[in-house]
Amino acid sequence: MALIDYAAEADRCSACSGCKWVPYDQVKSWRFAKNCPSVSYFNFNSHSARGRYALTRGLVRDEIEITEGVEEVAFSCLTCGACDVSCKVCRYNLEPGEMVRELKTYVVEQGHENAVLRATVDTVEQTGNPFGKPRAARGDWAAGLDVPRLPAERAKVLFFAGCMYSYDEQLQEVARQSVRILRAAGVDIGILGSREMCCGGRWAGAGHKAEFERMAESNLKAWRAAGVEEIVTSCSDCFHAIARLYPPLGSAFTVTHTVDLLGQLAAAGSLPWRSEVPMTVTWHDPCHLGRQGEPYVPWEGEEKKVLNQVVTFDPPKPRGNGAKGVYDQPRDLLRAIPGVELVEMERIRESSWCCGAGGGCREAMPEYSAWTAGERIEEAVATGADALVTACGWCERNFLDSTDATGEQIAVVDILALVERALAAPTAPESMTPAGEGTAR
Amino acid sequence: MTVSTTVLDELRGIVGRRNYTHDPAILETYRYSLSHTAIHLGPFFDVYTPRGAAVVLPGTTEEVQEIVRLCNRERVHYKASSTFWSAQGYPSQDDTVILDMRRMDRILDIDERNLFAVVEPGVIAATLQAETMKVGLNTHIAGVGCSASILAGATSFFGSGPSNLYGGHAFDNLMAMEWVTPTGDLVRTGSAGAGLGWFSGEGPGPSMRGVARGFLGSKGSMGVYTKCSVKLFGWPGPRAALPVTGTVPAYRVDLGPQFRSYTLAFPSWTAWADATQLIWEAGIGYIAHRQFNMFGRDLKFAMVKILTDPDGTLEDLAPLLEQADVQAATADMTRDFQIVVAAQTMRDMEWQEAALAEILEQTGGWKVQAMLAPDIHDWSLLYLVRLGHKNLNLVFGGSYDGAFGLLGPIDFGASLADDAAAFKLEWEKKGAIVAAGGDAMMGPIGGQGGGGSGLWENFTCFDSHDRASTEGTLEFFTAVSRDFMAKRGLGVGMENWNAAARGSDGYATPKAERDAMHLATPQPDVWRYQARIREALNPNDLGDAYYETLEDA
Repeated sequence: MALIDYAAEADRCSACSGCKWVPYDQVKSWRFAKNCPSVSYFNFNSHSARGRYALTRGLVRDEIEITEGVEEVAFSCLTCGACDVSCKVCRYNLEPGEMVRELKTYVVEQGHENAVLRATVDTVEQTGNPFGKPRAARGDWAAGLDVPRLPAERAKVLFFAGCMYSYDEQLQEVARQSVRILRAAGVDIGILGSREMCCGGRWAGAGHKAEFERMAESNLKAWRAAGVEEIVTSCSDCFHAIARLYPPLGSAFTVTHTVDLLGQLAAAGSLPWRSEVPMTVTWHDPCHLGRQGEPYVPWEGEEKKVLNQVVTFDPPKPRGNGAKGVYDQPRDLLRAIPGVELVEMERIRESSWCCGAGGGCREAMPEYSAWTAGERIEEAVATGADALVTACGWCERNFLDSTDATGEQIAVVDILALVERALAAPTAPESMTPAGEGTAR
Repeated sequence: MTVSTTVLDELRGIVGRRNYTHDPAILETYRYSLSHTAIHLGPFFDVYTPRGAAVVLPGTTEEVQEIVRLCNRERVHYKASSTFWSAQGYPSQDDTVILDMRRMDRILDIDERNLFAVVEPGVIAATLQAETMKVGLNTHIAGVGCSASILAGATSFFGSGPSNLYGGHAFDNLMAMEWVTPTGDLVRTGSAGAGLGWFSGEGPGPSMRGVARGFLGSKGSMGVYTKCSVKLFGWPGPRAALPVTGTVPAYRVDLGPQFRSYTLAFPSWTAWADATQLIWEAGIGYIAHRQFNMFGRDLKFAMVKILTDPDGTLEDLAPLLEQADVQAATADMTRDFQIVVAAQTMRDMEWQEAALAEILEQTGGWKVQAMLAPDIHDWSLLYLVRLGHKNLNLVFGGSYDGAFGLLGPIDFGASLADDAAAFKLEWEKKGAIVAAGGDAMMGPIGGQGGGGSGLWENFTCFDSHDRASTEGTLEFFTAVSRDFMAKRGLGVGMENWNAAARGSDGYATPKAERDAMHLATPQPDVWRYQARIREALNPNDLGDAYYETLEDA
């Protein structure tokens, strides 16, 4: 799709502003009713999906140019998909989630790149990760783990670690926990190590479509060469990229998020809980696991009007409104862990507030990204939970940075840390390790 | 005239760099299409409201005052809007400074004992309702839905909706105001003007409601309202967030045995009208509206089926219309309306249920059984209580507008319903508008608090991206005014309500045209009186024609 393909939608967007709020039925308070970090932070209409439709209209008609304002609008979109969910409560023939991505791509392709993102994407293409760390060190997190290295060794399932869990020293433990837990549960798992490439999903969301496609092709080539049958990842960002963005490029690989797989194992009685984890926790639905974690359903067709002016599609188009994301599995898993009490935030499941790291915003607009994370931390603190639990390296990094900066007294923990602790033999009480390593708050 | 750089710099200085823009691309996102619902004007294909000179996001009343004073000093037009819904909230002349009131969004007080809330412009009905329910109170939500600004509905428009039955109109609920007058002075009206709090609109302190609002609200054309208090009403449901369940978008709520949502249907329009009268007389019901008929008499139950199915799509519409059970339910609810019966106690609930049963017996009406399926019932209840799906009126092709349109005695509207439906049905055959069965009339059965009148609006859905559809809809609206309303002596149809304020080019209607229209209304002195008010309070005339005036004397 190109921006011009959204011209009809731009005309049909009624500028109702539903894209600025959680679905109205889900409004539980004044404080946590908004859904779009971009318009909540910048406040102008332009920074919402309705504004982005208006910009799309102006750009495809050559009525406006790409100004600094347009660049800010484009690059401040976290591509979190919250607008898409809210819009589709009432609209069945608009795709704002796709449009906001395409607008960003258009701005980039017209030569209006964000300098920070350009440099970051270049770094990824050179080193395979956005941090500029050595490609050869990508598998170092697995040192000491008895895990097959593909393609030299064979395994049925590839564990795709992702950039954050591969390189971030505070979060590498999540990758190690993943491997330990899955292998203990009998999953035939291996890793690619230095042959793994950034999944590229973040850079697709930042408008760098061509670069993303090169990264995806690199991974697909490596997976085919290694004879991989299935992929498991603990990073929601990677999960979304492989599940939703790779299939249009010809990928037939199936990918499962670790929480989903562990949920299945727990339900089958394959996770022998041995210890209590006496914690009250709240679950943050990562955008890329929740509302954007729906199964990919290919669709190709055309618009067809019925009853004179009812705009439908032939063949019927999948809704893609966040209904089928991975929501229940992590909650069921948390409830299965002895001692864990789950308390919910106000904005959950398809209405979840973004962590602020997506769409390249963590790199390009750090202040705004941090504000977005802080909003979520505040919502989590309001539940009274001891810990904010999630399952995405990028969410965890942004939340950890936020609590470090603000001193909020809530731990940020990957769900795997709780699972591993409950699977371990009972020990003397100890404080929980935030997101893998570090100090409990 | 072009707004000078000096003035723009001053504006930026007032609100700060972060809350100011004159970037032409960003200004493009503050234009509104007259190709779709312009409530109620047009539609005019591919026409947009004028681009503003700058957008400012004031954060305080003091900043608003400074902006307004600057605009007066420099003779620059300005227009404030809270949620930017419908053409009324947008400039109708070039070089207008747009005040986006979004940052002033606090609920300043919820006075449980005296039943009112004090809000800023950016507070929408959904958030106020969520907060008031926690203390056993509720707010009236205008028919536009819970996305709309509470303050805007009360101060600047009309605010009719399903909850009229318990809450009257939004303008009825307006109490004290904080008003930055058209020249930048600060006036607090009612009890707030006497420094005694926000409990009253009419004193002690200055009673300025009629002066400030004008007929049907001033729509951003007479200064800027920065705070107001509105009445609250009892909420017999849980003192907590609504316990919403279900999968998006088919959300629903079970509020227990003290809440029931019924679709009532009747054998004739006379029986329909009699039932509404009896409901008012009996004082039963919490919310009442002819709601789902907005999809059209022939489509409404099929649409309910789609909307209550998380996997439903518009592609299901045609096959559903072929299903025997859908056809039977559709036929069963031809002349219908929805009512939510709610009570604080089961004894009260039983009494209301008994009264309703007697009313149905007297009028030959019935409860539509298909709408009582648990998922549909609970969806319908949530829909009517929160009014969070109102933008479904745009679901078909992105656009709708109301034709016909009567506010008055319920019998009067009912006596015209068949004719209005038949008139539209003929136009549906031409293809420009959605074929909905002619009757897509919807509106509150309690047009005033507790009853007394009804509002009829024949929804007409079309495709704003399709020139033939949009222009065909305009032809239909013209025909409604000319061949239906005028021939029956019914006055101006809803389809032309705002034609006096804005023309087909998106700009203010030329004064001569406005005067001619105002002279033709039943009471032109209203507009003459408003002209005097504007002359006194808005001497530089920096609003727009939405504050309607007639200067012929």
